[in-house]
Amino acid sequence: MTGGSTTTVGHSFPRMEGRAKVTGQADYIYNMRLPSMLHAKVHRSPISHGRIRSINTAAAAAMPGVHQVITGEDVKAVLPEPYYGPAFHDQPILALEKVRHFGEPVAVVLAPDPHVAETAAQRIVVDYEELPAVFDEVEALTSEAIVHEELKPAGTFADLKHLSGKRDTNIALDFHLNHGDADKAFAEAAHVFEHTFRTQQTMHTPFEPMVALADVRNDRAEIFSSTQSPSFVRFELSRLLGWPESNVRVKTSHLGGGFGAKVYVKVEALAMALSLIAHRPVRVAQTMEEQFYTITKHPNTFRIRSAVDGDGRITGRKCEVWWNGGAYADIGPRVTQKSGFTAAGPYDIDNIDIDSFALYTNRPPAGALRGFGIPQLVWAYESHTDIIASELGLDPVDFRKRNILRNGRPQAVGTIVEDGEFEAVLDGVAQRLGWNRPFDKGSGTKRRGRGVAIGFKASISPTTSSAIVSVNADGSVIVYCSTVDMGQGSDTAMAQIAAEVLDVPLDLIRVVNPDTDVTPYDMSTLGSRSTFHMGHAVQLAATDARDKLRAMADEVGLPEGSNAPLPELFIKKFGMRAGTVVGAANYKPDYAPPNYETGQSPNATPFWMIGAAGAEVEVDTETGQFRILRLVNVCDIGKPINPEVVETQISGAAVMQLGFTLTETMIIENGQLTNPSLADYKIPGLFDMPDVMENGFIEAEQHNGPFGAKGAGESGTFGVSPAIANAIADAVGVRITEMPITAEAIFRALREKAGRPLEDV
Amino acid sequence: MSGHRRTITFTLNGRDVAADIGVHQNLTEVLQESFGLFGARESCGQGLCGCCTVLVDGQAVTSCLSLAAFADGSTIDTIEGLADGDTLSPEQEAFIETGAFQCGYCTPGFILMTKQLLDENPEPSDEEIMHYLSGNLCRCGAYAEIVKAVRLAGQKRKA
Amino acid sequence: MHFFELAEPASLQEAIGLLGDSGGRPVAGGTAVMLMMKTGVFQPERLVSLRKIESQYSQIRLDSEGNLRLGAMTPLRRIERSADVAAVAPVVTAAMRRLSNVRVRNVATLGGHLAHGDPHLDLPPVLIALNASLVVASPSGERTMPVEDLFRGYLETALAPDELIAEVIVPANPDQRAAYLKHTTRSAEDWPALGIAVALTLNGGTVETARVAIGAATDTPRRLTSVETMLIGNPHNDAVLQTTGDATAGEAEVHSDARGSAAYKRELIRVFTARAIRQAVEGDRA
Repeated sequence: MTGGSTTTVGHSFPRMEGRAKVTGQADYIYNMRLPSMLHAKVHRSPISHGRIRSINTAAAAAMPGVHQVITGEDVKAVLPEPYYGPAFHDQPILALEKVRHFGEPVAVVLAPDPHVAETAAQRIVVDYEELPAVFDEVEALTSEAIVHEELKPAGTFADLKHLSGKRDTNIALDFHLNHGDADKAFAEAAHVFEHTFRTQQTMHTPFEPMVALADVRNDRAEIFSSTQSPSFVRFELSRLLGWPESNVRVKTSHLGGGFGAKVYVKVEALAMALSLIAHRPVRVAQTMEEQFYTITKHPNTFRIRSAVDGDGRITGRKCEVWWNGGAYADIGPRVTQKSGFTAAGPYDIDNIDIDSFALYTNRPPAGALRGFGIPQLVWAYESHTDIIASELGLDPVDFRKRNILRNGRPQAVGTIVEDGEFEAVLDGVAQRLGWNRPFDKGSGTKRRGRGVAIGFKASISPTTSSAIVSVNADGSVIVYCSTVDMGQGSDTAMAQIAAEVLDVPLDLIRVVNPDTDVTPYDMSTLGSRSTFHMGHAVQLAATDARDKLRAMADEVGLPEGSNAPLPELFIKKFGMRAGTVVGAANYKPDYAPPNYETGQSPNATPFWMIGAAGAEVEVDTETGQFRILRLVNVCDIGKPINPEVVETQISGAAVMQLGFTLTETMIIENGQLTNPSLADYKIPGLFDMPDVMENGFIEAEQHNGPFGAKGAGESGTFGVSPAIANAIADAVGVRITEMPITAEAIFRALREKAGRPLEDV
Repeated sequence: MSGHRRTITFTLNGRDVAADIGVHQNLTEVLQESFGLFGARESCGQGLCGCCTVLVDGQAVTSCLSLAAFADGSTIDTIEGLADGDTLSPEQEAFIETGAFQCGYCTPGFILMTKQLLDENPEPSDEEIMHYLSGNLCRCGAYAEIVKAVRLAGQKRKA
Repeated sequence: MHFFELAEPASLQEAIGLLGDSGGRPVAGGTAVMLMMKTGVFQPERLVSLRKIESQYSQIRLDSEGNLRLGAMTPLRRIERSADVAAVAPVVTAAMRRLSNVRVRNVATLGGHLAHGDPHLDLPPVLIALNASLVVASPSGERTMPVEDLFRGYLETALAPDELIAEVIVPANPDQRAAYLKHTTRSAEDWPALGIAVALTLNGGTVETARVAIGAATDTPRRLTSVETMLIGNPHNDAVLQTTGDATAGEAEVHSDARGSAAYKRELIRVFTARAIRQAVEGDRA
């Protein structure tokens, strides 16, 4: 099925929904209205941790035009256990007894006019007993402030079955990995290095804010949501309601961005509960500001130590990673585990210890964000790797190549690497940077430097995707799958796969937007899993349909290899243009869970994602301000289904990571988030782009992937941050260990180095 | 309640229209609720992302920061009015051909800005393109493709 | 958004009558007012729109002495594209390019830009350096004041509730050289951490007159008079620029915020003051 013979797969068709998007007619859920719908506006906590003494809703309820005011107790009256979450059932639909983070939903006003609801929500008065709060992940380990008194594991996912949390601590999950004998390696090492790195809290800021409409009536719940996880939302809402999944319908559409913000349950449970109580359709539509209170990216602290021998071989590595999960676990425990086992980097190291902790704090919850913890790890291990090379006097690329992981060797988790082109990816970056050519280091107050970095990620496993491919009597084809197209181009990729298998033109294929009444199960659109998992399911379902068409051709007496057009075949079989041929398939790759004691697994992932970056910077030594002259990203994405779409995934991921590297940070002062808006939380614009940006992928093939493909949505994030830090170090000799990399941080480091530290008065 | 509500009339995508509005309503909201036009959409709510861009009397404005009452008597063009029937405008074609969007949420704003830029300056330099579009944000990071799309749109308009 | 009334007077006098004790708050382009109303920090019961009187107060002209007179209701984009502005005050034209964005400049007016009293805006330091003045109208008539006297504190101006800016006058000064440097420390289109405007005249290698104004880093846009004093009568060489830069550190009171610590901003002021002076000296009449 692979190779150069494909007619549709491997070609750069424009996105199928392009016309709808450029005419403004794309059907985002945010545009949706339902008859007799009420608008919900949320009253949120102004503190980070406290006990709710009382909620006074009288003034809000008395406002003309208000339909109803609803609190957590009202929700509890209809849903006795109103807690949700993919790892722990720890998140109340509306706060009960306590608030655990700034901006937590406490009460809701429902009104037909959103302006009335908004004004009334400001009139709700809540009396709190403020409690000590903890914001830092390292402090949370020993803090007396305990975010959750009781922990309730969800038991949903096969890979998190051992999850229990530790009572009377803030630890949601601890993951440990032992590979070889790290203590021995350190005892015998020629050189030992230790550094600590930190990353900050950031937010996805999808431009279509999170939104859900719910219509719950007569034992039927219909949910329209801008979600990446329609199947999971159905599962979780049916659990909350105690109803069969067939009574819950979750429908989505094209998403105005997701990036991990819209996975699992976000505003759907609230919308469902409100509609259940009000007996009316309800729309919960967040503002950009409210998204910052809903889900974020994990800040972390990473202490990394390396043992290196006299030949520049890394013989041992010890990693301690603390993940700041915020007030609710969301999918943080999986970030801790899945990212945890790659914390030692893409190197062939015989002896590795990893300890990775998911911690509760009083920050807004953290979950999945494009890379699932990997960019935070690469930041540390690739900065650390560069420091080692520099201190040993080795070329940073040579040092990496001396230690790089190769196919056939075991990764730290114990799984043998297959189809992981680490060295080729690194070479791809070095080549595009002209690494072996002389480099102009600048002069005077303008100094230049360059750096590289490489990271990798395992796929989320074990997960299942299901697809249905139906062939109509006129030869057109419909693909039913619950993969959500949020801009990554999955509809186009799935259509290309179906078109290839069935040998029909792309414009005869329609991909149905996820609707759990119609489209079959999919674990979720996340973690760059769709091309591989759903791509497989669609390929198998299309193959099933093709086999049935062949059987039908035999049945009606067409000779083998007949090229009779499909409409003719249907007429021969049904006597007129009638009938449907349906192919269906489930796909789930093999998986072996890690041993709890050692963290070892013979089969931890069906494929590896690899991304490297190279950066050239120019630093103004008078201000610390720097410009990125060139940013190169090269990834191993197997064989692309649609090369141009893949390239924009790589560049888009790199641009997003550039924001996290340079400008984006959520600032909490005195327990309050001070910058929940694009005015004060700065995402990159046109003038923040590097002068030159190059993105590409190497020639590769994932042998077990559909048409040789694998995931591509996150790999472009991996190397960006440390490549820039490494380039800055090369330019001016200072090392930034905490993200974001600001001009002020560089300026302060330069002054420190010059022996006249900047003094704050 | 006098002074709180009023009827406004304006020209919308070439047609004379009227709407009964609250004076507290912004233009994005009125285009959506009174006319079912969702191509201009509020995202950041602060005039920074440009998702709500519309043209008022030929000038690009931030419709989520414009009181709808101020639209009275004006001419408003939205992304929905750009194509001529089934024929896309050169800007729209260019955005498709260069793959200058991913999720598409910011796209109408970028396309309308491109139209106004090319109306004012048919042959912008890359620097002029950047300056003109620097008030629009794309979270999917399609900036490189967007600049290419503007160049292509300029060529298509001349052809 | 809260509920309010909207008045649309047809004359400046009528507008002024609706302000002050009558409880109305003026709105011109509306960008800043809408932002503040949407976040709930500003909840007026009645807005007084100045749009219907716009045409009378949106003229750009040169008076008999060659001074530039800008109607307060002029949208910034028209100022950006005005040949008269480019001739008399090219530094204003240049500053426009990075002033917010095209959509805002299309609707935001000069008067609103100044009356907002936000220290992060670009034109206040530029107009202070150019020694511009304002014509202010109220029920009791008109008065004129220097732009530098307008700003009293963060979002606080010297305007009475029933006063409106009618006109801005930029004096003609053909020998003057000027520069404005805006520095952002986060994304390029962020509010600035610092804006520095310099206007000076030279006599050979010596600075004859100098006005230096700062915005963004301080609570209000203001002059850096000690820098001016050090410049005037001195050559504009590197040594002098070094000392003038150093002088800034003591003069301006700056605060820490998300764009940088006070200590860092003082360093930026030092560096960018010298750079702005150099740009003014070396540039064309910009």
